[in-house]
Amino acid sequence: MKKAGLLLLCGAFAFCACQKDPVPSKDTTLDGQSVDVSSISTSAQKLFVLNEGGMGSNNSTLDFLRFEDGKYITSAFKKMNPDIGAGLGDVGNDIAIHGNEAWIVVNNSGIVEVISAEDEVEIAAIAVPTPRNIAFDDTYAYVTSWAGAFVTYGADYSVADSKNVKGQVYRINLSTKKVEGSVEVGYQPEGIACYKGKLYVANSGGIASQLPPMYSYDNTVSIIDTQTFTVSQTVEVQVNLKNVYADGKGNIYVTTLGNYWDVHSGLYMLIAAAPSTVLHIADYVSVSAINGDTVYCIGTDSEYDWSGAAHVYEAWSVAHGVKKALSLTVSETTPYGLGVLDADTFFVGDAGDYFNPGTVSCYHKGTKLWSVTAGVCPGHFATY
Amino acid sequence: MLFAVKNRPIIKPAEWVVIPWLPSAPQQVAEILSRFTGVQVKDYGGAGGLKTVNVRSLGSEHVGIFLDGIQIENAQNMQVDLGRFSTDMLGLVTLYNGQKTKRLQTAREYASGAAVYLETDNYTIFPDGGRVRLKGGSFATVNPSVTWKKELAPFFNLRVNGEFLSSNGKYKYPCFDTTLVRENGDILFLRLEAQLARSYHNGNWKLHVYSYGSERGFPGPVIRRAQGFPFSAERQADQDIFVQGAWTQDWTKRYATSVRFKYANSYTHYNTHPERNPMALPYDLHYRQQSGYLSLAQSLILAFPWTVDLATDLQYAGLNSDMGQFVTPRRLTFTGALASKLVWDRFRMAAYLVYMGAWDWFKTPSAGGWSDEDRYRDSWMPSLSFCYAPWSWLEISAFAKRTYRLPTFNDLYYSLMGNARLSPESAAQFGADINLSKRFEKWSGALRLSPYYNRVSNKIVAIPTSSQFRWTMLNIGVAEVTGLDVKAEAGYEGNLGVNAVLRYTYQRALDHSTPGSQTWGNQIPYIPLHSGSIGFTLRWEQWYLNWDTVLTGERWARSANTADYYLAPWSLSDASLSRQWKGLRASIHFRNIFNQHYQVVQGYPMPGFNWMLSLEYNW
Repeated sequence: MKKAGLLLLCGAFAFCACQKDPVPSKDTTLDGQSVDVSSISTSAQKLFVLNEGGMGSNNSTLDFLRFEDGKYITSAFKKMNPDIGAGLGDVGNDIAIHGNEAWIVVNNSGIVEVISAEDEVEIAAIAVPTPRNIAFDDTYAYVTSWAGAFVTYGADYSVADSKNVKGQVYRINLSTKKVEGSVEVGYQPEGIACYKGKLYVANSGGIASQLPPMYSYDNTVSIIDTQTFTVSQTVEVQVNLKNVYADGKGNIYVTTLGNYWDVHSGLYMLIAAAPSTVLHIADYVSVSAINGDTVYCIGTDSEYDWSGAAHVYEAWSVAHGVKKALSLTVSETTPYGLGVLDADTFFVGDAGDYFNPGTVSCYHKGTKLWSVTAGVCPGHFATY
Repeated sequence: MLFAVKNRPIIKPAEWVVIPWLPSAPQQVAEILSRFTGVQVKDYGGAGGLKTVNVRSLGSEHVGIFLDGIQIENAQNMQVDLGRFSTDMLGLVTLYNGQKTKRLQTAREYASGAAVYLETDNYTIFPDGGRVRLKGGSFATVNPSVTWKKELAPFFNLRVNGEFLSSNGKYKYPCFDTTLVRENGDILFLRLEAQLARSYHNGNWKLHVYSYGSERGFPGPVIRRAQGFPFSAERQADQDIFVQGAWTQDWTKRYATSVRFKYANSYTHYNTHPERNPMALPYDLHYRQQSGYLSLAQSLILAFPWTVDLATDLQYAGLNSDMGQFVTPRRLTFTGALASKLVWDRFRMAAYLVYMGAWDWFKTPSAGGWSDEDRYRDSWMPSLSFCYAPWSWLEISAFAKRTYRLPTFNDLYYSLMGNARLSPESAAQFGADINLSKRFEKWSGALRLSPYYNRVSNKIVAIPTSSQFRWTMLNIGVAEVTGLDVKAEAGYEGNLGVNAVLRYTYQRALDHSTPGSQTWGNQIPYIPLHSGSIGFTLRWEQWYLNWDTVLTGERWARSANTADYYLAPWSLSDASLSRQWKGLRASIHFRNIFNQHYQVVQGYPMPGFNWMLSLEYNW
């Protein structure tokens, strides 16, 4: 889901993110709604907001907040790439910054879209079947994929075993933007993070839970050695894994969605040096994000109350495995995405009814500063 | 005289078509309905695409589709696919916006918001004999059908019908910056039906057996897709079987009964074929739905002109699937209707009260496995209607009714989405009709004006929960619909026959779900403010020419009526020409003559110009 701080995951890129381009980018002419950014002090140029859209509706859009003049610009990809008639595509599931590029994973389009983070102009569109989330090291982008049955990549897909619905991690060369192989992981892999030559992949089993013969969620993290590009270890965490964050200090955080019945969503931690020991940190995670070495979570203990009663959301953070409550009252209908600019500034995407355009709200020092209308299901944030 | 009066409907149907009287080879049921005022047919394109009907913005779940008075049930989602019913066996297709109030109705008939009636052909269009028809044309469509009829004894008929269709469903459509061919929209089906019907001086009975098997692809929505990945490889195979029957008997001059029953079994195999489409979620699922239905309707003429009807229905439906966390729902529904009618020549009125109670049994996850749960839902549905015909050329009628539709199995129990606590969805309807009709020698003319107001509340809407992968269904939607249907018709019958029909529908269907939200007060999805059609038929000797233009005004695919979800107005013109030579009839039908590119449902492009040739021989 949120990879607001994905740029920080692999330490090397943390510093590129804040470079400013002296040449004004072409998107400066784009205009949008004005919001109050006077109290926000940041070295970032912009905050990207990826709106997922509805599956099959081809309405994923990319918005951004320009910190310089406080303009919130909607549908920037479409505006800056008018030649791409289909727009960004169907279900934008992840966004992460690498250098001066923004990599957008467009799930149901089967596209990893690489754009200039400066002006949103397309650099490359890379075909990857059912891509979900992305992480980087120095040479590759790694993309989790649900398309498990396909073990070879090329012009044609060949089927290893159509009954094997395990997923893959695809490897894309950062300079050539070409796919260079994939490796099989667990069922319906979601989040991915990179730390010191290892990839940590969260396997959800979201589809496997509905299908014979498993009828159960996956509960494992697949650890991939990037040198050999093979799975070196598989660690059991809890059912239905979602996001993975690496804090750069050897702590790997994993969020889970729970089984919607008796196992609640939660946050778990494993140590990169000894990954088989898994710590349960806390329950109830609806949305989460990492910033620096702190993971931020918003959740509710009434998450399995389907009666329609309003939920009360609590925000908390974890650094070095220690949970701390945040004084932040989240007044949103359906928190769907979380972006963290700094310890005081949060952006929460509210999906509303999931069907119509949602909102992005800015929380600063515990209070809500403003809300703007975004696209459908604003779920993913990245700062550049 | 008495019999004729007592069986007269209180309110005339809004629209009807007598299939055997159609000058050219009949089209699909969905095409016939799409011409009717107030009807929106949701069409995903192609011969295999789902076609459902929505009347006066009530939502397709509120539209009962009845075959010979017995509701065609889909407990899973209440979406009846009109593509599965052929005009071959039908004599009459009727739309009732308000209330059908005939004698000896089933309780279900009283309980639906609007109703489409499909009636098998009781009009003897041919005595002993048969018909072979071969249709074919665009999309490599081959569609032969055979009907055979035998009079076993006087007023005792057997009718057998078989139809096969094969179509590759391929057509060109504009896909963003390029033009593509729609793939994986092919369909094969075989439908076999037989009906035994007997009538005698004080009663009749009918037995109908139906079997439909199909295999089709779903082409999927048109979206941005990486080159080399198909839009869809989804396939569905269906096997539907039903047996239904009715027995109506006049016991005395005052008392009559009708017994109806149905058993239906439908099997669906849905497979996304991930081995052919790397973008597919790997689903391979099987569903089987079984239902049984029994109805007793009684009618008693208490004293002229007062008739009382009592109808009691019992229906059972169950759904099995190999999908995970499947709750295997079962439902027993009791529907009872008490109706009272007063019928004079010029003034008729009816009032009824329906009680519907549904008992559901389902499995629910609990500690140590699954436990059984049950739930009971019920509702009362009243209705009042009257008709006044001061002169033969003028008829004024009005109705008010409240109906409820039960939550479907999908609403209640769909894994990761259903909410077993849902209440029935409610629709309050108020409508009036002014019918003017006049015949003058060879000329005839008619005008119908029907203003209406509908309020759908407790509308079942899917909304997300705190966990984005888990949705829930809630009774939160409200839609308020103010509309007007107009139909004007003029004709001349002589050596030359001319008939022209103009239809117009105004529907202001507003989302009034959440005050203060961005969607409050906006037009609900897919309902045009203005829509209509123009039809023109010309007959000269044995030649028939028919022209139809359907117009649909601007619409939005979301209640957020923004530019991103705007659907441009479109018009669609069809023409058909047919010629009769004794038993032989040839028709050619041109659809979308001006090759318009349009979408009824966003993301599902419809075919451009296409044609179908039909040859039939009756003996």
